[in-house]
Amino acid sequence: MKRNVRLFAVVACALFAFMFMGAEKARKPAPPKGEPIKAKIGVISIITGQGAAYGEAITNGIKLARDEVNAKGEVLIDLKIEDSSGKQEQALAAAQKLINSEKVVAIIGPTLSNEMFAAGPEANASGVPIMGTSTTAKGIPQIGKFVFRNALPESQAIPAAVGQAVKKYNIKKVALLYGNDDAFTKSGFDTMKEVAEKLKLDIVTIQTFQKGQADYKAQLTKIASLKPDAVFCSALYNEGGVILAQARKMGLKVPFVGGNGFNSPQVIEIAKEAAEGLIVATPWFGEKSDPQVKAFVSKYEKAYGKKPDQFAAQAYDAFYIMTNALRAAGAADRAKLRDSLAATKNFQGVLGKFSFDAERDVVMAPNVLIVKGGKFTIFN
Amino acid sequence: MEWLNPYHLQVGSFVLINAILGVSIYVTLSTGQLSLGNAGFMSVGAYAAALLSTQHQVPIPAGILAGSLLAGAAGVLVGIPSLRLSGVYLAIATLGFGEVLRAILINWESLTGGAVGIAAIPQMGRVILAWASDRGFSPGSLGLQNNQFISLTVFLILLLCTILTVAFFLRLSRSRVGRAYAAIRLDERAAEAAGIPITYYKVLAFSQGALLSGFAGALFAHSTSFVSPGDFTYHRAVEILVFAVFGGSEHIFGPVFGAAFLTVVPEALRSISDYRYILYGLLLVLMMVFRPQGVIDPALLRRFRRSGKGTPA
Repeated sequence: MKRNVRLFAVVACALFAFMFMGAEKARKPAPPKGEPIKAKIGVISIITGQGAAYGEAITNGIKLARDEVNAKGEVLIDLKIEDSSGKQEQALAAAQKLINSEKVVAIIGPTLSNEMFAAGPEANASGVPIMGTSTTAKGIPQIGKFVFRNALPESQAIPAAVGQAVKKYNIKKVALLYGNDDAFTKSGFDTMKEVAEKLKLDIVTIQTFQKGQADYKAQLTKIASLKPDAVFCSALYNEGGVILAQARKMGLKVPFVGGNGFNSPQVIEIAKEAAEGLIVATPWFGEKSDPQVKAFVSKYEKAYGKKPDQFAAQAYDAFYIMTNALRAAGAADRAKLRDSLAATKNFQGVLGKFSFDAERDVVMAPNVLIVKGGKFTIFN
Repeated sequence: MEWLNPYHLQVGSFVLINAILGVSIYVTLSTGQLSLGNAGFMSVGAYAAALLSTQHQVPIPAGILAGSLLAGAAGVLVGIPSLRLSGVYLAIATLGFGEVLRAILINWESLTGGAVGIAAIPQMGRVILAWASDRGFSPGSLGLQNNQFISLTVFLILLLCTILTVAFFLRLSRSRVGRAYAAIRLDERAAEAAGIPITYYKVLAFSQGALLSGFAGALFAHSTSFVSPGDFTYHRAVEILVFAVFGGSEHIFGPVFGAAFLTVVPEALRSISDYRYILYGLLLVLMMVFRPQGVIDPALLRRFRRSGKGTPA
């Protein structure tokens, strides 16, 4: 009897293994024309665990760009996608694997800033260009001269949103609200505070909350009692939507300026009409009339059955920036690729015009959006 | 020297750090105390070492030592009051301690950098390479590339640390202290009646576990060169416990094996990235069904030893 049970377990495991083997089949690249540059590019992304939604958008964006670029035939890219499951040690191991076992010419990713702080120094020491598409924290490109990013840092997005809102609504007194246990919302808050101080706004109160909190009435009551002209709020969309809903219900009608975390249709879904008047700055705006943006959105929707978000768009552009640089370098060589990548100027992507500054950080103009009639529109 | 792949060495390094963490929970378990505070103690060691080396330019070995001792001291502080607790109550108290520490790390921004963490911690291998190159050494003379040399030194240092740790606790288990631990685990009252000062030994085991966690944390900080509060959540505490539960908690080789196996499996399954953690979970469930005491238990080791004697060398 016992032997039978064991036998069953072994067979079950074997079956599972076979099922998974067939799961991912590599897509065949298009036939080459002339003398294409062949290169292996590594991707480190969150495929399992918390944050897998970001990783999925990123890998989708990259795969779409890969298919387009390979179809043109000037460069042929072999993608090696590795999972980091959102953990820095996994990201480091994945980077080591891509650099040393797969011998990739460059790496796109990892997804989180924390992961980049572990994987970046390793890639830099090994002389492999690495580009984060969603790593917005301070100090990422400063890791070393092989480390790039095309994610617009909060330190550029937030001042744009705050500046325009202050001008339009003549804001003098502000209240700040942020999630203090998350690196992303925390660094967004730091920027908000800095900007508010620079504009000589009167900060009447600073309130904090934690990830996953459901009731914000204590913080909002305090804010409402001080009668600010606006609230600057650094939160991710799931908390942000709830905050907005509760604030409006309490009669706090002043404009809300959000960080990049608010830039998600989910916020409107959660907060409904309470989201009206929310102002955010974002590198990505999918409703633009630009033909390039329209083409990308429709292709993405056709391939994956949903609209691309900011992460997909950033990853899509990142792949183009990488392959353009590869073409300019003329060979799949890590050092040459780094130099031509650093020389990227005025790249026209779906996010708009993009350049690297002298420190390999992002130069681009963010879009400032406001929620009007249940959707994001350009703010002016 | 092509075969010496930094990736494999990297995975090896994480195996060794996790092995030390496995031993740390084994030590507390060996007196029958279930602690979930090891992630918290690990953060003490990691942050102490990271802050000392980034802000006060303390040499890495001194920082690691200080981090471990600080974690050990924290273990004494937590160990004494929580001695009145046992079983699941102790587990919850220590879990709470870990979360309190994490909240401090998040909120004490001026010191710890808050949720953003500490970046650019000197990495052991790179520091050694820089030191050696200043003295005219080049990894090329050993037929190694720079990154191979860096990964290899980190791996060897960690290997040495792990071997010393395991050897120490193997020796300890056959000493007066180890026998006292075993007696306490089997029956606390009987041990007390036999004249064993159980308070002393329980606090000793608890702080030894804390010290080891801190040691592993400090090594972790200096091999990944970045730490943040997110690394020391409840998940880490459970992961450490799983090493002991999977590998077996009755012999020191149990958690070491558990750590090694459970670190290598997700890496080996990278090719099926979408499903690898499903397989990981399946493995744990099957384990609980077929071998609830863990893979390695004293009976298995005895069998190995006997069959080892039987075969000619």
